[in-house]
Amino acid sequence: MREDPSSGFSSGPELPDEMRLLVMLHNIGATESGKSLTVQQISEWTKMDTSTLQFHLQKLSELGYVQFIQAEGTDKYHLTLDGIRKVLSIYS
Amino acid sequence: MLSWEFPPRVVGGIARHCEGLAKALVSDNHDVHVVTLDFPGSPGYEEMEGVKVYRTATELGHPNFLTWVLLFNHFLEKRMADISQQVEFDVLHVHDWLTAFAGISFKHYLKKPMVLTVHSTEIGRAQGLHSADSFSIDGIEWWVAYEASRVVVTSHSMKREICDHFHLPWDKVDVIPNAIDVTKYKASVDRGAVRARYGVGWGEKLVLCVGRLVPQKGIEYFIRAVHIIAQRYPEAKFTIVGDGWSRDYLESVAQSTGHGWKILFTGFISDADVIALMASADVLVIPSIYEPFGIVALEGMAAGVPVVASQVGGLAEVIEHDRTGIFVHPRNPESIAWGVDRILSNPDHARWLTQNAREKLHKTYSWEAVAMKTVEVYKKAVG
Repeated sequence: MREDPSSGFSSGPELPDEMRLLVMLHNIGATESGKSLTVQQISEWTKMDTSTLQFHLQKLSELGYVQFIQAEGTDKYHLTLDGIRKVLSIYS
Repeated sequence: MLSWEFPPRVVGGIARHCEGLAKALVSDNHDVHVVTLDFPGSPGYEEMEGVKVYRTATELGHPNFLTWVLLFNHFLEKRMADISQQVEFDVLHVHDWLTAFAGISFKHYLKKPMVLTVHSTEIGRAQGLHSADSFSIDGIEWWVAYEASRVVVTSHSMKREICDHFHLPWDKVDVIPNAIDVTKYKASVDRGAVRARYGVGWGEKLVLCVGRLVPQKGIEYFIRAVHIIAQRYPEAKFTIVGDGWSRDYLESVAQSTGHGWKILFTGFISDADVIALMASADVLVIPSIYEPFGIVALEGMAAGVPVVASQVGGLAEVIEHDRTGIFVHPRNPESIAWGVDRILSNPDHARWLTQNAREKLHKTYSWEAVAMKTVEVYKKAVG
């Protein structure tokens, strides 16, 4: 576990939940419009319930890390280039 | 050459390092093939100034990062298997643990030596091993260093770190400093226009910080220094360039200082904009708590901005205190504020520092020199 930021700070705060979702979206391959996924598909991969997912996807979309497209009558989500860079920054 | 990032897939220093090294090796008449991961909008194969770049799609995904790494290594191996039908390699050069699996497989398959460059370590990045994934990554780092014929690091501090931590023989590890392409820093910049674009008015000071927004960069300590600096320089503005997973946290710290309105987070901006900002700033602060090399210091030196940096890792080797920059204590906002004051309070001294820094940069940190030293390592590996 990472240390609490208030406890002297060595490795920083916990990864926020929406960032964990961003990482998972990246790792399951939703990195361009042709690979966009529906909320249902993302839920199957991540085991997160759809209402929580929609809340986080909305925030990630406002931050510019996720983009959604309308396809086959539903919203599908994928990472933007800034979203990809954000994920990679964790491990680089 | 195997790397998980190569332009335009640029995250940290690895992509730029691989690009600079690969192009310099080609200039020295070597045949360089880079196998890397795909990036939206980039072709699966292209030649970049003679460097043959193969971008590989990962056709299977998994939410777990380590599993995803294993999967993309498999697709890198498939791509390399195709390439090795056409090309006879003399040496494999792997960058960091992320491409270790593909590199090690091909070392044994081709019966060719593998050289590893360690750009950073998990224990350094995370300031300890705090999770099961971290322990696994640490183990992979040991494994790939063990399998490599030669190991390259960019600073003596990294050599000490990996020889201690991975129990590597001292004479297996070569130190080859990083470099930058100084020609990118020669374009003239309209300082007033650039400063205005970032909200810095006439007569105001621009204090700049450039780095990924992750804990190892120590940006929290820079933000905590703002109120101290602002006491003496109320007109100062603070610009933080970069993005990363700690951004929300750092923005909340900035707001808590009471000077949040003076602190601008730009997010990710283009290389050209970073260079223009550096050339327009009054001081560049590098507050890292862990820095295997610190290429941003070279970038600041090339742009002609006085550098204030933590005396850690590679930074401690790149900068000479009070000759090419100013050292401050890591994790210490008071010390950072002292360093910034030393620059802002004495413009003549700041100019002298930047002149010395540019001279040192041109003499020591060129890609040609890096390529020449790397070829010597390849020769040792080939035997």
